[in-house]
Amino acid sequence: MEELRSKHLLGIQDLTREEIELIFNTADNFKEVINRPIKKVPSLRDITIANVFFENSTRTRLSFELAEKRLSADVVNFSSSGSSVKKGETLLDTVNNILAMKVDMVVMRHASPGAPHFLARNIQANVVNAGDGTHEHPTQALLDTFSIRSKFGGVEGKKVAIIGDILHSRVALSNIFALNKLGAEVMVCGPATLLPKHIKSLGVKVTLDLREALEWCEVANVLRIQLERQQVKYFPSLREYSLYYGINKQLLDSLNKPITIMHPGPINRGVELNSDVADSEHSIILEQVENGVAVRMAVLYLLASKVK
Amino acid sequence: MDILLKSVTVIDNESPFHLKKADILIKKGMIAHIADPADTPEQDGVKVIEVQGAYVSAGWMDMQANFNDPGHEYKEDLESGSLAAAAGGFTEVALMPNTHPVVQTKNDILYLKRRSGSLVRLYPIAAVTKDAQGEELTEMIDLHQAGAVAFSDGSQPLWHTQVMLKALQYVQKFDGLLISRPEDQYLNMFGTMHEGVQSTLLGMKGMPTLAETVAIERDLSLLAYVMELTIGQPPRLHFSNLSAASSVALIRKAKAMGLPVSCDVAAHQLYFDETALADFDTHYKVNPPFRTAEDIQALKEGLLDDTIDVIVSAHQPQDEESKKCEFDQAAFGITGLQTFFPILASILGENLSLEHLLRKITVAPRALLKLQVPSIKVDAPANLTVFHPEQVWKLDHTTNFSKSKNNPLFGKELKGKVLAIFHEQQSWMGLSSYDRSR
Repeated sequence: MEELRSKHLLGIQDLTREEIELIFNTADNFKEVINRPIKKVPSLRDITIANVFFENSTRTRLSFELAEKRLSADVVNFSSSGSSVKKGETLLDTVNNILAMKVDMVVMRHASPGAPHFLARNIQANVVNAGDGTHEHPTQALLDTFSIRSKFGGVEGKKVAIIGDILHSRVALSNIFALNKLGAEVMVCGPATLLPKHIKSLGVKVTLDLREALEWCEVANVLRIQLERQQVKYFPSLREYSLYYGINKQLLDSLNKPITIMHPGPINRGVELNSDVADSEHSIILEQVENGVAVRMAVLYLLASKVK
Repeated sequence: MDILLKSVTVIDNESPFHLKKADILIKKGMIAHIADPADTPEQDGVKVIEVQGAYVSAGWMDMQANFNDPGHEYKEDLESGSLAAAAGGFTEVALMPNTHPVVQTKNDILYLKRRSGSLVRLYPIAAVTKDAQGEELTEMIDLHQAGAVAFSDGSQPLWHTQVMLKALQYVQKFDGLLISRPEDQYLNMFGTMHEGVQSTLLGMKGMPTLAETVAIERDLSLLAYVMELTIGQPPRLHFSNLSAASSVALIRKAKAMGLPVSCDVAAHQLYFDETALADFDTHYKVNPPFRTAEDIQALKEGLLDDTIDVIVSAHQPQDEESKKCEFDQAAFGITGLQTFFPILASILGENLSLEHLLRKITVAPRALLKLQVPSIKVDAPANLTVFHPEQVWKLDHTTNFSKSKNNPLFGKELKGKVLAIFHEQQSWMGLSSYDRSR
């Protein structure tokens, strides 16, 4: 396979296994690039990309921006604070105004599930989903699975536990799709109130017991408790959550086997992960961040070839 | 001192002496000897208790009482409540969380456990939501670990549908028991008694049966929803204080469908109906309200076919000022512990046998709360209640152990009496002073 089928990246659901592997192989090259003394290639010299963020983001926006700049694209940034959104402009008008300034690609984060799909149907530019509400976060899932591949040499057959707030997590959903496509086994774990009712229909194992999940898995992808996304309270307190679903070194040491720890960030230290785990030798959290730039370069590079 | 219960009729399905007379020797809190009265040798230094017609069963458990401690100790405290429980025949009592503060932290649980006596062992039921307001879940896993035997907002219904659903999901983690008091507060708003002929005659705002059945139907739907795709143990749901025939029918149907539900009825609901309120006597003001004779009949049928698992005292002490006022201003509640057995004795017969009813205060509540069920056998700890279904006594200032006396049977002669309890090497005996055998 030489290229992706679509000119958008809206979700992992739309990708085939071959497309994911193409992205990985491309990312391998870019990972080598960003570790050179001169970290930049001229691939996207004539491409203009707008990063349109209607929700707060630090690392995803920075990661995209760095990926774009290292590919030599022209970059404009837009975030909803202090923008025309507050003046009542519709999403489509806002984006069309940006596109009128001759922008080729839009990287968008939005609080509404499906917002990038809506955009992709209605504009000419390529759309990259940087997170749409509680739906998908495809580049995060790509960088997570890429990191597992880097650590273990492959994803097929690996046992991955996704732990925490599954209900409000686009990271969980995209990861489940990606891991399933790549042949990994997935177990999700959290309080019953934070698990979607029909989660089993996605072909994953489910447990309420953290220890059971950890004893089963080789990799634990620990999710952030997304308090900002909960309109009503789904569990009593952060204290009780950390007591029964937080991971600390003592717990990991009692398992008699090493587990690779991942986290999409930002970490609530002392809630879902203790510092003695987050900063331990088994954590690949910072490798995830590094891989994020390479994977996003790969995605942008492959999509840019489809710019008309 | 060692105690010999002479010629008592044993009620314990597991015992070879079931429904037979036996002599039971209690030594240092243990059952040392059980034998046919003819076979028991004379022993010195033993206190002999012999009352013609007395029975003994496993110690009784009340699954629902309010001792108002901490917060309203002038109505009841842990000591007075425990004494009233002992006199009522109960060796174990589960306390509702509606104290001030509400039982919702590890500390609140530890207070009750530390202050519990051993004659009457107290078990805390913790609140489902903060301050029993129905809005935010308490730290139920932690409370369970600390010793909460079940979860309930007590006298407060779990009105918030979303929170009720979350609570059902959350207790699956530790196979907890969630207790719902079925009441739609909006339908009962400003109501003071059962909505029916009597409330119409008295011109009082009624509390319709609908307020109870709507809540039960809602909770059963939520339970079925959680059960559709359950993870781990299905949640166990218990309805407290049923009062209506239609409620019994709903639970019967749910059990037939295999839903993990159970329920209880307060003893006084089996005894009084709406006509008792004809004189605006606030002592009959309870929630749920006394309904009709047909409802009482249905509740009894529910006991008979085990649709209703447990009978509770629903002991709710109120000070005099809370009851000595206009009917609509008066507080709800009855002190149920000491009149519990006389009421039970009054409904015996009509297919309801003593041994059948006793299971609902011995085996059933402990099974729901996952507590050890005591048995009457040699070398077992003596956890026993001795009682007499025919003896007559009077509940008055000399015999009332509660700090409150909000009970319509106060001052009345009652048939059916608790003679003694034994538990954890302690005993309480109310044999002589006010005993008038017939």
